[in-house]
Amino acid sequence: MDFRWSIIQGYAPLFVKGFFMTLQVAVISIIIGTIIGLLLGMLRLADVKHGPWKWPFRLVKGLASFYVAFFRGTPLFVQILLIHFAVMPVLIHQDNGLLISGELARTIKQDYGAFISGIVALSLNAGAYISEIFRAGIQSIDRGQTYAASSLGMGYKLTMRYVVLPQAFRRMLPPLGNEAITLLKDSSLVSAIGLAELAYAARTVAGAYSRYWEPYITISVVYFSMTMVLAMLVGRLEKKYAAPHHR
Amino acid sequence: MKKILTRYLPLCVLTVSLIAVGACSKKEEAPAAAAKQSLYVVGVESAYAPFSAENEKKEVVGFDIDVMKAIAAKTGIEVKFIPTPFEGFFNFLAQGDRDLLISAITITDERKQTVDFSEPYFEASQLIAVPQSNTTVKQFNDLKNLKIGVQSATTGDEVVQNLVGKNNPSIKRFDSTPLALKELESGGVDAVVADDAVVKNYITNNPSASFRVVSDAGFPKEYYGIAVRKGNTELLAKINQGLADIKADGSFAKINEKYFGNGK
Repeated sequence: MDFRWSIIQGYAPLFVKGFFMTLQVAVISIIIGTIIGLLLGMLRLADVKHGPWKWPFRLVKGLASFYVAFFRGTPLFVQILLIHFAVMPVLIHQDNGLLISGELARTIKQDYGAFISGIVALSLNAGAYISEIFRAGIQSIDRGQTYAASSLGMGYKLTMRYVVLPQAFRRMLPPLGNEAITLLKDSSLVSAIGLAELAYAARTVAGAYSRYWEPYITISVVYFSMTMVLAMLVGRLEKKYAAPHHR
Repeated sequence: MKKILTRYLPLCVLTVSLIAVGACSKKEEAPAAAAKQSLYVVGVESAYAPFSAENEKKEVVGFDIDVMKAIAAKTGIEVKFIPTPFEGFFNFLAQGDRDLLISAITITDERKQTVDFSEPYFEASQLIAVPQSNTTVKQFNDLKNLKIGVQSATTGDEVVQNLVGKNNPSIKRFDSTPLALKELESGGVDAVVADDAVVKNYITNNPSASFRVVSDAGFPKEYYGIAVRKGNTELLAKINQGLADIKADGSFAKINEKYFGNGK
């Protein structure tokens, strides 16, 4: 078995650019996904029991539930293709885009099209999973905590902010870290729509030379190092927020 | 950090040793498969109409398929078609998962290092597709500062890499030529470079796409060949004989007529 590392050298800039692209896509999607997840998780837990907002609110909740079900129930790969080749052309198109059209649409699509679609798909997907993590985290806090807070005269906002969320966050950290690692790895699927990230670099080399060991070992090592660093960061956070008796 | 290192060290060692074992054990398989056989497994890429595509009944159909079937009938071998992704196509041969590959494979010197090719059975060349509104692109060189879509690992990918540099970010690679053309339709790329027959087929099936095609005499002529495992001379001889026979008795011309009319 001969390893021809020289073929990787020829494509080194593609791998370096790919690395930064993967990093960017993953970090941005994790941040947006967490925001979506937080909002959605809270929304799905809240309820309006009386008044004129009761039914509109329940409708919004229903839509949120459908969103979570859809993004958890379909493959990410399919979601990426759906968003890039079906949804995006409707929204951004030089002739008749619903959101943006004309010359600007063309420029956006050409320079950032795959980037935007990739981030949208990954964020929406992560948001669905993260909302469940938030929901589970919040629900895991004993009702007594809420009752105690109300007996102190705290309202919903104060209770959430100072009593429930801090405790829930501690429990949510491990699954959140897990989701971040999953998302980093799944970002490789975005190469299907032509975004030049790490997996794309490996695909290109494999395609040009019909060699598989060198490019795929290379990116495996890079992905592995990235997830290790991420795991380490999450581990530190966990330590920082650990309950007193676990310290 | 230290803890993580010590915890994962055994895992790393295991991975490396697995890789080493995998690398060593690979060479022994090839001779064992040389036994007498009459059923040959043919790999085809199933998203490359009109050469090979899957129809509603999940059968692969197309020019390549008909040619292969005609050859099989002449030489008395049996063939079974298996849809195979074009990326990593040649590895399927090397690993013995497929005996033959047919899918508009351009014969290139690079590929000859990994596989053996039959006599050429089709002549093709690259074609540039641009939106109808684009009037500036008249030859291949005009693509230099544009975003170009290609199917990864194809000759289109190769010629574009030669034009603009292999690490150039303005090349966008897709899993299949139709996906690249779809991206052209939605404005994500300025042009697509791909095999002429496939581009024309897309345009026939998507009249609303309004593309303009540009051919450049500078594109080298390409010849498609059927690929077999390197050193499998027995099978190669059969294929070449069959190919010569169907060319001689006119059945090849009939297949050609069926898919490409009298254009070729």
